[in-house]
Amino acid sequence: MAATTTLRPTTDAPATDRRPPKPKFTRRKLKRIVWQIAFAVALFAFGYFAHLNVTRNLAASGIAVDFTFLSREAGFDVSEQLIAYTPKDSYARVLLVGLINTLLLAATTLLLATVVGLAIGVASTSRNWLVRMLARTYIELLRNLPKLLIVLAIYLAMVRGLPLVRQAWVLPGGALLANRGLYLPWPDLARGGELLIGLFFFWLAGTIAWSRAVRRHQDATGVRRPVALPAAAALVGVVWLAQIFGLVVIEWSQPKLGGFNIVGGAHLTVQFTALWLSLSIYHASQIAEIVRGGIVSVGRGQHEAAAALGLRPGRILRLIVLPQAVRVIVPPLGNQYLNLIKNTSIALAVGYSDLVGVMNTAVNQTFRPVELMIVVMAVFLAINLTTAAALNWFAAVTRPVGHAR
Amino acid sequence: MIPSSTAPRRPRHVVAREWAKANLFDGPINTALTLATLAFLAWAVPITVRWLAVDAVGFSGDVASCKAAHGACWAFLRVKGDVILTGTYPFDERWRAQIASLVTVVTVAVALFWRGGFGSLAGLFLAGCLVNLALLSGGFLGLSRVDATRWNGMPLVLFLSVFTMALALPIGIALAIARKAEAPVIRAVAITWIETVRGIPMVAVLFAGVFILPLLLPPGVQISSMISIFVVLTVFHAAYFAEDVRSGLDDFDHGQIEAARAIGLSPWRTLRLVVLPQALRTALPALTNSIIGGFKDTSLVAIVGLYDLMATSRLATADVEWQAYSLEANIVVGIFYLVTCLAVSERFRHLAGNARATRRT
Repeated sequence: MAATTTLRPTTDAPATDRRPPKPKFTRRKLKRIVWQIAFAVALFAFGYFAHLNVTRNLAASGIAVDFTFLSREAGFDVSEQLIAYTPKDSYARVLLVGLINTLLLAATTLLLATVVGLAIGVASTSRNWLVRMLARTYIELLRNLPKLLIVLAIYLAMVRGLPLVRQAWVLPGGALLANRGLYLPWPDLARGGELLIGLFFFWLAGTIAWSRAVRRHQDATGVRRPVALPAAAALVGVVWLAQIFGLVVIEWSQPKLGGFNIVGGAHLTVQFTALWLSLSIYHASQIAEIVRGGIVSVGRGQHEAAAALGLRPGRILRLIVLPQAVRVIVPPLGNQYLNLIKNTSIALAVGYSDLVGVMNTAVNQTFRPVELMIVVMAVFLAINLTTAAALNWFAAVTRPVGHAR
Repeated sequence: MIPSSTAPRRPRHVVAREWAKANLFDGPINTALTLATLAFLAWAVPITVRWLAVDAVGFSGDVASCKAAHGACWAFLRVKGDVILTGTYPFDERWRAQIASLVTVVTVAVALFWRGGFGSLAGLFLAGCLVNLALLSGGFLGLSRVDATRWNGMPLVLFLSVFTMALALPIGIALAIARKAEAPVIRAVAITWIETVRGIPMVAVLFAGVFILPLLLPPGVQISSMISIFVVLTVFHAAYFAEDVRSGLDDFDHGQIEAARAIGLSPWRTLRLVVLPQALRTALPALTNSIIGGFKDTSLVAIVGLYDLMATSRLATADVEWQAYSLEANIVVGIFYLVTCLAVSERFRHLAGNARATRRT
């Protein structure tokens, strides 16, 4: 198709041209075009042959590629769901349930892995020998183990090692841990949900404005005012005030043993908890290595200069080292996030109903592998593109002025 | 040699104290960190050691003593070691599986210290692969035939990881070059292949091998899931290798290509003698990561029903008598992965170091 764009006949070149006519159609070009056409034909033949085989194979089982089955009743249950779902719902609905489970696992794992990875990455560059060695051991150990091994080991350890629901361990804050999962105290919004969301955005805008003001003030006078502490205090204060005036009513639902099960609170199943923890510690080791590389890339001189100016170690890290390290960290970190999102599909190994797991059950029930694989591939490609776009945006934002790339 | 006049050696405990002051107790924050870490170690190390060794039952123990003990049960490995290593491979024939594993390990070891060219290296891997297939499947010279579904455990993990990656590397290099090709059709195919595979999880790729690949074959042709998985793993690794090689090609100085063409090298020889040796050297660290990752991820074949080491460990603990000892199996399998990954990455780091040294000259 596009190969013909370079094809221009040389015979009708105007004879009046003063320069000698360029050879526009050489043997090499001809060869290249012939090769391309041959390749395209072979590709087309392969595609046609594959299509023919799929159709014939499916016809042998009496079906054709057809997406209407998605609206039929799924008839199987899932391990957990965030939106209402019963086996009477459609295949499309159960795939949505799986997608939401995948996104939930990915988001929570991303958060925990980043926090742990950042901490361990910083620890692995610590001046304290003991801390440094411990962090490096963690990184080397977990980076060289298969994630499936970590997931299965933690899952089995939780199922076997944790107590029965009746003897559940009480964690600080009133959370309960048993072999059926983790039970967290959860705020029940009795009133004022919309107001709370509004207040949150109000607080967010205020924080951004304040941090800009701090930056301006620092540029003008060199004095840096605190940001994180006032912002946190403001958030707590606003919610507290709203509750005092009765605009927002939050009732904490505490998990309690009732009969044979635990009632109240939010229940994270043991599958989810095991996956969340194991994928987090696995990816934390990868992220820690990236963070370490970033910190090491900031010259030792920067560190010493900042110390010479009288900055405290915590501030050196936060104001001098990390902002420069971020530039080195962000691109590989983005790749790591994409890997993490894809790796949640390991959930199937412990029976958590993620998108791939639901797809597997659906394929076994309906024998519609082509349609279901297309759906799953499309969803993952969409997730990847969205994440990649977000990461590119973040990389553009964190890029310092004058460092166009 | 002039005898060196050194300062009188300071007593060892003084040196140790100075080291500790500089590295552990340097300021209040560091001291607090050291004490907290020491407290953690004082809590964690005794528990681990007690479980691993003090309270454990050794190799020669039996079920009864394991049930009575509070620690690890290493006797489990003596009794179930064969199951973990070779799974359901016929018991009397398991020497074949063990030799096949050994052949793969030797192939990799020889390849890591290879000094010859690419062609003979490919020959080495082909030979290793054929020997593996012959030993595992049998059906000649009086060796009984063993179905591919019974190739379990270690030989499966090694066969699938090593030979798919060995096959995927040249394909990945070709894909990376195709991605930079001027011909739009070839470029489009390469980009589609690379981006689609990299965009979806490996588990989904494996499912495509199990569900979709058999449908692509003419009706009546059946392949074992072992072969399907081999094919899709190769497709998968090739896409990742292609991206790594591309990073090497991106860094490449175009002037060298023009210079090579100017002295009369054909495009093919320019590629083989000038571009690839340098691009692959640049790509080596990235390739190392992909190879280690690919090796670890081969364990995911357990999810689509092949018996890798994790699945055979489960098989070993399926026995009611021994079902409580999966952690022991996990630890041994973990040590296997840890040692192999560290050894291979160390070797590759060494190669990359050599590569850097040769570039500098």
